[in-house]
Amino acid sequence: MALYKTDFSLRQSLEIIRVLAVTDFKLRYYGSYLGYLWSLLKPLALFSVLYIVFSVFMRWDVANYQLYLLLGIILWNFFAESTSVGVTALAARSHLIKKVYFPRIVAVIATAVSALLGLLLNLLVFFVFAFLSGLPLSSTVFLAPFFLVLLFFLILGISLLLSGLYIPFRDINQIWEVLLQLLFWLTPIVYPLSFVPEQYRFWLFLNPMTGIIQYIRILTIDGTFPSLMGTLYVFCAVVCIFLAGLFVFSRFESVAPEQL
Amino acid sequence: MKPLIDVQHLNKTFHLPQRSLDTVKDRLFQLFTPNPKRVLPVLRDVTFSVSGGEFIGIVGRNGSGKSTLLKILAGIYRPDPGARIELEGRISPFLELGVGFHPELTARENVHVNAILLGLTPSQVANRFEEIIRFAELEDFVEQKLKFFSSGMQVRLAFAVAIQVDAAIFLMDEVLAVGDMAFQEKCLDVFRAFKKRGSTVILVTHSMSHVENFCDRLLVMEQGRLVFDGDVTAGIREYIRLNHAVEHG
Repeated sequence: MALYKTDFSLRQSLEIIRVLAVTDFKLRYYGSYLGYLWSLLKPLALFSVLYIVFSVFMRWDVANYQLYLLLGIILWNFFAESTSVGVTALAARSHLIKKVYFPRIVAVIATAVSALLGLLLNLLVFFVFAFLSGLPLSSTVFLAPFFLVLLFFLILGISLLLSGLYIPFRDINQIWEVLLQLLFWLTPIVYPLSFVPEQYRFWLFLNPMTGIIQYIRILTIDGTFPSLMGTLYVFCAVVCIFLAGLFVFSRFESVAPEQL
Repeated sequence: MKPLIDVQHLNKTFHLPQRSLDTVKDRLFQLFTPNPKRVLPVLRDVTFSVSGGEFIGIVGRNGSGKSTLLKILAGIYRPDPGARIELEGRISPFLELGVGFHPELTARENVHVNAILLGLTPSQVANRFEEIIRFAELEDFVEQKLKFFSSGMQVRLAFAVAIQVDAAIFLMDEVLAVGDMAFQEKCLDVFRAFKKRGSTVILVTHSMSHVENFCDRLLVMEQGRLVFDGDVTAGIREYIRLNHAVEHG
């Protein structure tokens, strides 16, 4: 087998992730300083219309519903956007992959990191919103970043899986779009978990996004702790999906320069 | 002395499907129909080694496998199992006109991305940026998006980046195919400097005069095989003989 003594150091890999993520971020919001506002418009528009439908028309009476909904949509939007961009993380950089060797996993990580920058800006908007609606922040919010890290690795795992499968299957992104739509309604984002009958909750929690979004919300808004069992399940599910992603990616990445 | 590049029994085969089945839908609908693959051997049992400081030329007719060989040396294509390839030191590849640029990014941003990918540190990029732009003669276009660049401008920029890398091995595929005479002359100056400095260069070219002027050794490829490895003058004769053989059937 080929043996290259020019293995990439961790420092150089991190440097590549940084430069790819920054240019990715620039490209996404390119053209105007309003570029970032446009990206914020999508979750805000969805939030407004869902809020009107469920809070005003259907008169759901849920404490802090607007904050629940906004945080849920921001987190979901991060998940949905970064995984759908992640599908083509390699294909979008085929101009580089065909010319220079670098560890190809770096391209997928960079895509997720650039989406993370967008999430941090959106969370800033959420906290301004929460402050304006007079929500007292409890100290449990400092545990929320743990679940954000899990969310990041879930996204990375799914992006690795999908970008690997995209090499032999070019319609994987359409399939993923359909799955995303189903998952959106199978995650308690629009409706509170308390509306779901007991016997169905277990099935909802099989979807790791349910735990992640629910736990971040109760830590941030209610000031209560998630259950240990639930946390453990989410952790294990994320680890499994991440490892599955790594496995699939490593099977297909070496043919990427020839097939893309 | 241990060779810088050591290639043993390198084969590369492309498997091209007769019908393209590149979606889940195609696979499902055509699960039970056979899809024979066309097997295309591009490199066959290539063995050679290169010592530090050698300036090596590779010539061969179109489709003889020169570019595929360089892509495998650069780590981009994976060789068939059974090959042994060892490379010592950093590689600076300049492949198929070397344009790994993004059309929506400016020259400055593209240089930055490419230089980091080729292994420069951010401070090295900052220090060498002026020199890269000056060599490419693009001082007035630094903040322009690459999509507005002519192909000549893009190649100049790519070459200017590639030569700023502190590489032990430079892989150069058809560098001089684009660019006017003045720029070609500058490229030749770079080659002279490489030679003086003792860098190892592998140059794929169709120009016999460049081979004669720069190369210490010549490899001739024909239909994926290495058919000649040795003295430049004899190699050129062999290459001309191969071309004549084709012309006259």
